[in-house]
Amino acid sequence: MNPQTKSFSILIAALGGEGGGVLADWLVAAASSMEFPVQSTSVPGVAQRTGATNYYIELYPVPRSELAGATPVFALTPSPGRVDLVAATELMEAGRAVQSGFTHPERTTLVASTHREYAVAEKVIPGDGRYDGQGVMDVARTLSKKVHLFDMRQLALQHGTVINSVLFGAMLGTGELPLSRQACEQAIRDSGKAVKASLAGFNAGFEAVANPAAVAAPAVAEAAAEAAPTRKPTGPLADLIARYPESLHAILQAGVEQLVDYQDLGYAMTYMERVAQVHQAQIAGEKAGPDTTREAARYLALWMSYEDVIRVADLKSRAQRLQRVRTEVGAGPNDPMRVTEFLKPGLDELCSVLPRGIANMLRARLKDRAHQLHVGIHLRSDTVLGFAALVALRSLRGIRPRTWRFDREQQAIKRWLSSLQAALALDGALAHEIALAGNVVKGYGETNERGHRNLDRILAIAAEAGPGNAAAIAERVRAERLRALSEGETPSPVVSNTNPVIKPISFVPRRKSAARSD
Amino acid sequence: MERSFAQEVEKLQLKKGELFHGEGILAVTKALLQSGVSYVGGYQGAPISHLIDVLGDARDLLDELGIYFENSASEAGAAAMLSASVNYPVRGAVTWKSTVGTNVASDALSNLSSAGVLGGALIILGEDYGEGSSIIQERTHSFAMKSQMWLLDPRPNLTSIVKSVEQGFELSEASNTPVMIQLRIRACHVHGSFVASDNRAPVFSTHNPLLKARFDPGVINLPPATYAQEKHKIDQRWPAAVKYIQDNQLNEHFPGDCEDVGIVAPGGLYNGLIGAMQQLGLADSFGKSRIPILALNVVYPLVPEELLAFCRGKRAVLMVEEGQPNHIEEALNAFLRKSDIATEVHGKGAFPMAGEYTGEVLLKGVSNFIDAVAPAGLQADTVHMRATDLVRVKADAAQQLGNPVPVRPPGFCVGCPERPVFSALKMTKKKFGDIHISADIGCHTFGALAPFQVGNTVLGYGLGLASSSGIGHLMDKRVISIMGDGGFWHGGLTTGVVNAVYNQHDSVLVIMKNGYTSATGTQVIPSSPSQPVKPVALDIETTLRGVGVKWVKTVPSYKVGQMLETLSDAMTTTTPGLKVIIADGECQLERQRRIKPQIARSLAAKERVVTTRFGIDSDVCTGDHSCIRISGCPSLTIKPNPSALRTDPVASVNNGCVGCGLCGENAHAAVLCPSFYKAEIIRNPSRFDRIKHRLRSKVIGWMAGQSRVAA
Repeated sequence: MNPQTKSFSILIAALGGEGGGVLADWLVAAASSMEFPVQSTSVPGVAQRTGATNYYIELYPVPRSELAGATPVFALTPSPGRVDLVAATELMEAGRAVQSGFTHPERTTLVASTHREYAVAEKVIPGDGRYDGQGVMDVARTLSKKVHLFDMRQLALQHGTVINSVLFGAMLGTGELPLSRQACEQAIRDSGKAVKASLAGFNAGFEAVANPAAVAAPAVAEAAAEAAPTRKPTGPLADLIARYPESLHAILQAGVEQLVDYQDLGYAMTYMERVAQVHQAQIAGEKAGPDTTREAARYLALWMSYEDVIRVADLKSRAQRLQRVRTEVGAGPNDPMRVTEFLKPGLDELCSVLPRGIANMLRARLKDRAHQLHVGIHLRSDTVLGFAALVALRSLRGIRPRTWRFDREQQAIKRWLSSLQAALALDGALAHEIALAGNVVKGYGETNERGHRNLDRILAIAAEAGPGNAAAIAERVRAERLRALSEGETPSPVVSNTNPVIKPISFVPRRKSAARSD
Repeated sequence: MERSFAQEVEKLQLKKGELFHGEGILAVTKALLQSGVSYVGGYQGAPISHLIDVLGDARDLLDELGIYFENSASEAGAAAMLSASVNYPVRGAVTWKSTVGTNVASDALSNLSSAGVLGGALIILGEDYGEGSSIIQERTHSFAMKSQMWLLDPRPNLTSIVKSVEQGFELSEASNTPVMIQLRIRACHVHGSFVASDNRAPVFSTHNPLLKARFDPGVINLPPATYAQEKHKIDQRWPAAVKYIQDNQLNEHFPGDCEDVGIVAPGGLYNGLIGAMQQLGLADSFGKSRIPILALNVVYPLVPEELLAFCRGKRAVLMVEEGQPNHIEEALNAFLRKSDIATEVHGKGAFPMAGEYTGEVLLKGVSNFIDAVAPAGLQADTVHMRATDLVRVKADAAQQLGNPVPVRPPGFCVGCPERPVFSALKMTKKKFGDIHISADIGCHTFGALAPFQVGNTVLGYGLGLASSSGIGHLMDKRVISIMGDGGFWHGGLTTGVVNAVYNQHDSVLVIMKNGYTSATGTQVIPSSPSQPVKPVALDIETTLRGVGVKWVKTVPSYKVGQMLETLSDAMTTTTPGLKVIIADGECQLERQRRIKPQIARSLAAKERVVTTRFGIDSDVCTGDHSCIRISGCPSLTIKPNPSALRTDPVASVNNGCVGCGLCGENAHAAVLCPSFYKAEIIRNPSRFDRIKHRLRSKVIGWMAGQSRVAA
């Protein structure tokens, strides 16, 4: 035996419930079957739930028989520069291992899945709170000896298995793990659960690392989803769009399609006219670039296709949607399926389909009780009647332009655009900020109300802009927009007794009321 | 407890000479059986839950040996169990999570250690300190010192652990003192092997009962006996313990060639220390060290002669002592001073005062020591360079990453019945303005984390209601307390409910009735739906009414709207006194463990099965994420926006969804957007199902619309 032989250390970074423990057991079993001294430790406890958790394994790659009774001393915690192989089931967990200094440029091989399980901190942000995954991959590359990154969740799904088996295969695929493939596969077999699928996943993971060509595929697919589409203008308004700078085509095309789909070609024309005005103002002003027009066009299209009852019914009653639901929940075309829609229309939703006059009257009458007027509906859209209801609502599209909501949104849009045009003549930065501010009006019910309030506030600030203070105003508009977008308010409850009167606290029981119990 | 530990139970039956492969805590369990223990008790908690789970499933084996085992109602109950060893020559062991469990048990422990024991009494402590810990950071060592109970801290390999359990009983009997054995989380979960010996049936057991009760006024904790007991501790038991430790060489001395320095470390930290020394080139893979090491497998009492002998002739020693106060280092300094030995002691200073001694900390600590004392025959600077190179990467990573990666604390499982209650509580706070909420210990403590941030204080297990009694009288609004059913039976019933009723508190209590102590690994409690042995399950509502609570309402956990109404009721009702809402919903982990196999069987048997899942229409979702801010469910997540115009990610439900229904409930209770849908898929449909489906899809197919494209 040669005391210079170092023990081999493996750190598994996983999330609770991803089978990290099983993976550790597989490694221990495989090592034991090869007569190698091995030790694994972990800190499950409550981290076993959804939190980040890790498993640490050390093994001495020499059979016991050759050790003459000597037993290696293994560490119980990973240590910087001690880990030979870091295996992570998710990208940020890989990042966490790197951040903790567990990868060393001279010693550590990192194998990790590139898919994301977003942390609550990322999900709760109203806008986009996602952590930059690319950055993590870049840092991992510079701070590890070798890295193997690919979407293991994808492979796991393909082979109907859990990510841990794919990761196990990938770990062996790196060629670093001093274990025989035969021993690893036997360990999976002996564990006796879902053996076939696990072995398939194991093999897929192994191949993905052993043959990098296969690795590229999922990674690219991931990127494609994120990338903005670059498309040639098509359809009746194609040549209209073609007149604009290239960088606007994708957005304008998408905008036109969205609005044709939302209302009709005429509405799309209106959209293009509004864009034209903005664009001319931008050219004339010579303060802002085409980006400003692009962002304005983006949010204009979204705003003009505001989600009212008609739109929602329309989207929910389409053939494509029925198909999408089936694929999303994994139902075959012939599996009977009950689908329940959760709708809770209130005064706003009602008014969104009523003519201006009646709506205003209703709102004036009911404004105090608006919050109580929501009716929770469990609409069974898989039944003929339920679906028919959606179709009926959808068919109101024709009267949309005469509704109170339409009028209201158009007014606001006009205010926004005129403020934008004024700014375009004044200051580029300010104009761009106002263009982006088009994003604050979105969502339903209360969220939408809040959006309108925020936009009014922003336009009020913008109105103060003059030659002297444009830069300062731009800053304030920006600040206000960011505040509005990060305004993560808890949706307020709707229960029958709003603004309750809180009874005085009584510590001495009053005989009379003590008797009654509600 | 839907999990089975049959495999582990088999390992407990290994015979002499057979090789045991498994977890540290399971090795301890086996060691108990090998030591002829008569009774075992304990209260679950990571990292020792496994001991209780396995013994719970090992009834047949225990009956065969005549060992009595009970899953105690609390750590206090478990500690009191050890009184059996005060008067009678029977060995007993109890276990719990420390220091929290030791806090609960300390009344019984103080009395026990004052009276002293005749039979060996062993307390197995799962030390939950440092990474992954779920409790306050304190040392058990201080308990040992204040009550003069002996504290073992064995080297974290299975052979050493098993040996110290067996020797622990002997030490306890040799010194008439209860003995604590301390195992850190990773030691409990360490997977290794040891050579087993046969299980020993206890002399006195459920098969061979004691025939005569023994009365000895000397063990009654009343003066004057108590004075005698204290003297006996000092004059007899302590010296006896020290003698036993010396005679049997419980502490281990590992020689090294750098004789002018040395390292003193508790056994529990030995592996970590060697690991660091291996990285610094000061030890080989088999633990052969350049620097002499004294490993203290007994950290209390210390044996002055051993320490002095080790330090004599050394310029300096490094004291590796995790946590604070640094009792051992202080004692060591005192020993050296008294016997006028000039050896420097480097401890805290080379090491940080507080926090776990992880690999990185040990690396730095040892290298600091080498820097400071430059041992003869060592290249101090090469050691230093190695250390800096090793820890460098962490700084680089931080610098290159910019912002740290998002934290990922533990949270509620997918479909957890406690999540909806916190959705309702968060909305209740929105409605009434900020309410003071006394939280409790259990999974529901996660309610204090994002996205709920519900819970203003946590004072201890089952103390949610009790901890509201002061503030409740000082707040303008009624306060809300939270308690789990585990905490309720652990002591919340008396310290909280009975106290509140007796003192006529006017406040609101929410009891999370999920049927198990879920945070510790879903062990059964008196009110668990499925009881392993005892046929009767106690009922919380009956108990509440029994102690005089008038206003009790049980609400299904997942009914957010109803919970919201009931909470508003409780906040506004004129009924004085305590108002209790029982949130009734079984732990989803356990539920899934039970129904998953059932569903699989039914599917295999071609029976009709309805599986539920929630989904979101990504073209209806506007990416505002308010649904996530009142849920935080792991399967309610986000994905890139399919729209070419929108940039913010949309909400989406992933395959983890168990269809608990919270999304729908929230959509209504909080008037969220109309994007949510519930899909109930009928597997193996009946003929009627199929016909109905075919007709419906046909008609719906005609009515279904298309997206409009301009011609």
